[in-house]
Amino acid sequence: MADKSVKLTIDGKEIEVEPDIYILEAAERLGIWIPTLCNYRGLTPFGVCRMCTVEVARGTRVRLVTSCNHPVSDGLVVRTNTERVRTARRILVELLCARHGKVGVIKRLAENVGVTKPRFGEGDEPCILCGLCVRACDEMAKANAIGFAQRGTDKIVTTPYHEESETCINCGACAKVCPTGAIYIEGAQELRHDELALGPNAAIAVPTMQAVPNVPRLDADACLHFTTGGCGICATNCPAKAIDYEMQDKEIEVKAGTVVVATGFQVFDPSVAEQYGYGRLPNVITSLEFERLSNAAGPTGGKILLRNGTPPASVAILHCIGSRDEHYHRYCSRVCCMYSLKFAHLVHEKLGARVYQLYIDMRTFGKGYEEFYDRLLKEGALFIRGKGAEVTPGVPGGAEAGKLVVKCEDTLAGVQRRIPVDMVVLSVALEARSDAREVERLFNLCRSEDGFFLEQHPKLAPVETTTDGVFLAGCCQSPKDIPDTVAQGGAAASQALSLILRGETTLSGACAEVNPDLCSGCRVCNELCPYSAISYDAEKKVSAVNESLCKACGTCVAACPSGAIKGKHFTKEQILAEIEGVLR
Amino acid sequence: MSQDFEPVIVGFLCNWCSYTGADLAGTSRSRYPPNLRIIRVMCSGRVEPAFVLKALREGADGVLVAGCHPGDCHYQEGNYKTMRRMALLGPLLDQFGIERARVRLEWISASEAGRFVEVVKEMTSRIKALGPLRLGHAQDAEPIAEKLAPA
Amino acid sequence: MKIRSIADLDRIKEEGLGLLYPNRTKIVVGTATCGLAAGAGEVLEAFRRAAGEGGLDAVVEESGCIGFCQMEPLVTVHRPGTPKIVYHAMTPKKAEALCRELREGRLSSAGALGEIRCETALLTGEERRFAANGGGGAGAALPDFDDLPFYRKQLKIALRNCGYIDPEDIRHYIARGGYYTLRAVLAERTPDEIIDEITKSGLRGRGGGGFPTGRKWRSCRNAPGARRYVICNADEGDPGAFMDRSLLEGDPHGMLEGMIIGAFAIGSDRGYIYVRNEYPQAVKKLMRALEECRAYGLLGADIMGSGVSFDVTINRGGGAFVCGESTALMASIEGKVGEPRAKYIHTVEQGLHNLPTCLNNVETWANVPVVMHKGAAWFASIGTEGSKGTKVFSLVGDVKHSGLIEVPMGISIREVLYDIGGGIEEGHRFKAVQTGGPSGGTILVDEKGATVRTSTPSEDGAPLGFVPESLLDLPVDFDSLTEAGSMMGSGGMIVMDEKNCMVDIARYYISFLCEESCGRCLPCREGLRQMAAILDRITSGRGEHGDIELLEELGAVVMDTSLCALGGTAANPPLSTIRYFRDEYEAHIYDKKCPAGVCKALIRFVIDPAACTGCGACRAACPVGAVKEGAALPAPVEGDPAAPRKARLLHEIEQAACIKCGACADACKFNAVRKE
Repeated sequence: MADKSVKLTIDGKEIEVEPDIYILEAAERLGIWIPTLCNYRGLTPFGVCRMCTVEVARGTRVRLVTSCNHPVSDGLVVRTNTERVRTARRILVELLCARHGKVGVIKRLAENVGVTKPRFGEGDEPCILCGLCVRACDEMAKANAIGFAQRGTDKIVTTPYHEESETCINCGACAKVCPTGAIYIEGAQELRHDELALGPNAAIAVPTMQAVPNVPRLDADACLHFTTGGCGICATNCPAKAIDYEMQDKEIEVKAGTVVVATGFQVFDPSVAEQYGYGRLPNVITSLEFERLSNAAGPTGGKILLRNGTPPASVAILHCIGSRDEHYHRYCSRVCCMYSLKFAHLVHEKLGARVYQLYIDMRTFGKGYEEFYDRLLKEGALFIRGKGAEVTPGVPGGAEAGKLVVKCEDTLAGVQRRIPVDMVVLSVALEARSDAREVERLFNLCRSEDGFFLEQHPKLAPVETTTDGVFLAGCCQSPKDIPDTVAQGGAAASQALSLILRGETTLSGACAEVNPDLCSGCRVCNELCPYSAISYDAEKKVSAVNESLCKACGTCVAACPSGAIKGKHFTKEQILAEIEGVLR
Repeated sequence: MSQDFEPVIVGFLCNWCSYTGADLAGTSRSRYPPNLRIIRVMCSGRVEPAFVLKALREGADGVLVAGCHPGDCHYQEGNYKTMRRMALLGPLLDQFGIERARVRLEWISASEAGRFVEVVKEMTSRIKALGPLRLGHAQDAEPIAEKLAPA
Repeated sequence: MKIRSIADLDRIKEEGLGLLYPNRTKIVVGTATCGLAAGAGEVLEAFRRAAGEGGLDAVVEESGCIGFCQMEPLVTVHRPGTPKIVYHAMTPKKAEALCRELREGRLSSAGALGEIRCETALLTGEERRFAANGGGGAGAALPDFDDLPFYRKQLKIALRNCGYIDPEDIRHYIARGGYYTLRAVLAERTPDEIIDEITKSGLRGRGGGGFPTGRKWRSCRNAPGARRYVICNADEGDPGAFMDRSLLEGDPHGMLEGMIIGAFAIGSDRGYIYVRNEYPQAVKKLMRALEECRAYGLLGADIMGSGVSFDVTINRGGGAFVCGESTALMASIEGKVGEPRAKYIHTVEQGLHNLPTCLNNVETWANVPVVMHKGAAWFASIGTEGSKGTKVFSLVGDVKHSGLIEVPMGISIREVLYDIGGGIEEGHRFKAVQTGGPSGGTILVDEKGATVRTSTPSEDGAPLGFVPESLLDLPVDFDSLTEAGSMMGSGGMIVMDEKNCMVDIARYYISFLCEESCGRCLPCREGLRQMAAILDRITSGRGEHGDIELLEELGAVVMDTSLCALGGTAANPPLSTIRYFRDEYEAHIYDKKCPAGVCKALIRFVIDPAACTGCGACRAACPVGAVKEGAALPAPVEGDPAAPRKARLLHEIEQAACIKCGACADACKFNAVRKE
């Protein structure tokens, strides 16, 4: 039914389109501009602002219609820029101005249609009743929390009985689509760091700047489509039709001969170190949160702001939170000194604020690192040798009022300090991921005491593991900075490649061997072998070892009641001789 | 017991965990008693009870069998087999009149150099306290020694 | 008892005829809304009392509106063997007097409008002649009721039973030929034949648009859909219009029978009647009618044994004017806010619940049984080339005789106004006729009635029509009026004389629409708001140069771009009045005068010192004490013939305090208080 395309003419240009679209869309395809206001891709056309009025002719009958909801049809002749249309648009914009002439969207429309002096004056009624919010609430949020009330010139948008709505799900879709800003979310400014800010701030977003793959991801818990079944606007707008709400987690099986384990790290959660007030005091943030805050693609557009939206005048950066601390991790996280220096530089450069660095030791061992440290010293960052001990709210009434106070011992000066600052950044430790244990099991790896994966040999085999063909790269092995990670990654990859390119693998000489003359065919060994390398030959009534499957653990050798299995390189004779040898 | 007595302990260490742990103790320059003589096996599952008996017969005062922690076996479940075998070995030792404390099964991972050191220290002093293993002091000392001879 | 055969119908018809023409005196009180408003309730009580406790041997019944609303309460008294006598402006007191007379066996003609000598049931064609007045009547001979000027030129098709039957008794309806047509149609005709017949008859929608009914039915029947709906639009909202109400109150079955036939033709099993809740009488009578229909097997499953099923639900509207618009009405039935939607896809294809829906006005449905019974040819013989049949109008305003009339298409406006309406009240001049409600057109005449002007832009926005011929001879039919640039409208016809200020009329209609616009689309909502502001400005004396032009430009765009017909015609009142009464607008703006003396801000009352006698009546009448004693004139000077004869105390009006109520002018016996 709907697969037959139709031909219509818009401003003299012919276009062939599918029959279930509206004139507006057809005009857009031709690149013909038609002003709109109450139209929003993904919402049912409403046709109430009438801005998109165009002239259509069918035979001799010429009339004005709204292009946003007038279906296309064969032979339709549309004109978008006749005098009649222009006059209508001008008057419509003037009427809009009379309602709310001071808002950008209407000013721009006025400019576009050539209204310079609206004759009905300029009102300041924020809501222009375009109905976008009502439709968004109905169609996107499926909450139906707002609607129109009254009629005629008294018409308003409101909740039922003007009371706080119980069905509102606080999704903010109405505020988002409102073209005049008549709807806003109370307290949005305060919310931004807590709920909107430091993570991805929409239900669909690229998780981080460096995300791999660098594509957006849907958060099913926050997405309206998953919570109410509504919205779907991302799918409507995606020209590549890449959004698939039905997509499920799937397990993908890849047959691989080698594996590079590069599962990374997680940051230390400083809320367990209560003395620093993280999660309790506003404006105490972690280094990763600071990173996002100062990111140009972040929630504040790269502005370093306090919770109340103002820039800090002073920032303290506390090193070694969770690292070099026997309560948490004894190791040094290796990267904190350098990123802390970078933060100090950023704060300095962007805000010119005072920056305090509270450190145990400055560890600037890499190439060019010490020079950067020197530069910071010259830039006037304040370095205090001594670990931050506690962060408390400032004493009200005095100079500390409204600030955070960092207590520490300045070990160079030998004094206790109280440093009032606006923002505290905790340079948190890098730690092994909480799921490292599962990965360890999966690949038969080992972990060192600090929880990171253990390489086969610290000096001679730094990327290999105890499992053949499994290699380590990056912070899953130990905290390291980007150059080290890249280097290790390269090494792991080349190790893997060297196996792959060879195309074949050398078997270790160490493996088990069944002597068929001695084998009684009891099949004890068959069940023992974890690799199913031993099979029973029913014809010959003996077991035999598949050499390419055998890993030479020797369990079968130890278990064979007839002593028919020989563990090459670890034969009974060899071991007994060894015993004799060590006891001689 | 003589304080001068220095026991000899034979250790069967699995290649992936305990042996690496011992190696780590070495590279870490940890000090531990020199009484342990290590024999590397690929898996603790390779250790036959006869090896333990052989070591005792050949003059060892104690035997340490060490493997990966349960669940961590490089060969998935070799250490479980060891565990069962060692459990069966206990009553046999009793029959021979050998104190069970002389034969010990331990789980030591590759990163547990400290634990390895502790185990060796502790075992050494324990066996020191037990004194040398005398297979010949009883009347049928010889027959026992004979019995201990590997099949 | 279910009706399944013609024999069943015949039996009920006999019963009904016995009720219509009993062998005893029958008193019928018109208790439609117009009658009740005039006091018919008390009158009915009085008759009932007389018949009950009073022992008067008479049947007392109610009926709908017979049309002459101005004369209500109307009471018809029928003594067997004599003509029916119609009394007007009945009161309980007069009713008691009448009953006394009846008991004494005579009947005076005092207060009687006329006598009905012959009654013809339109459908059966059965005539019932009553003997000439001779049955002991007293007083002068009465005129033939049907020959009264008000009725002479009328032809009743839709209103065929109104005022003649008890609308709450289906037997009355059947007695006059009701439901025979339905029976015949169900038994003998196919849906296609019905639609053909309707198409041939030339019946067009009576709601205002005049869309050919047959074509609408055909489109709906052919539209794909799981189900089809039929709707009766009885949401009559125009000020001054009461055709649908009277029809439903007087003859609900007439409409219902049409609807059932339509449903069968279209293939619908579900109908809705959307009637405003402000019409409690109509709702009550409809509910009664539905009950009776279900009881007699005319609604529900297997109607009259034909296997056809159809049922009807009454939806009561909250009285929003915009709900008369078909899509808003359907939204309202669906339980949504009654707001219109774009009709780029017609409702016959996607209407109620997005299914094919056929919506017709009450009057259209009421015409259907007649068309089907008497045939397309008969129906088409009435009216003009393009407009067949009759049209019901509510004739109101400054005419002598107002009421509900039904006239054949093609009758001239002159005949309607002067012959039926009796012309303009004495001493006043005809000025304009407004048709089609606030969004309809206004037909205007100059003061002499010689030049006719009609207005309303045609749909494509062409300039307003102008007919330089005598308005009074303009035929009333769809095409003539549309060609002339006006429209038939749903049937409201408001006559205005020179006391009406056209600017004020425009302002009234615009403020009405401001409240009644649904407010959904921008041009209608904001455009009306601005038009109201401008008209307010003009009528309050703050009009500026350019206001007229701004109104014209704004009005044209509002009509051009609005979503539905409400906005699409909303600017008619200002635009048509500007076009033909621009001088009145100019007088308001430039001279700050209201020529008709309506706009309070622009008039003032002054006392002519030459005429004032100083009596003080005006001072006593003024509710705000704005009339002050002014200069005392001395006693007459000898020899000056112009000088007043005695000393007087002149009165003056303090303009700042005056509220322009006009009480002083009414109080002055010497015409000394003038409005200027």
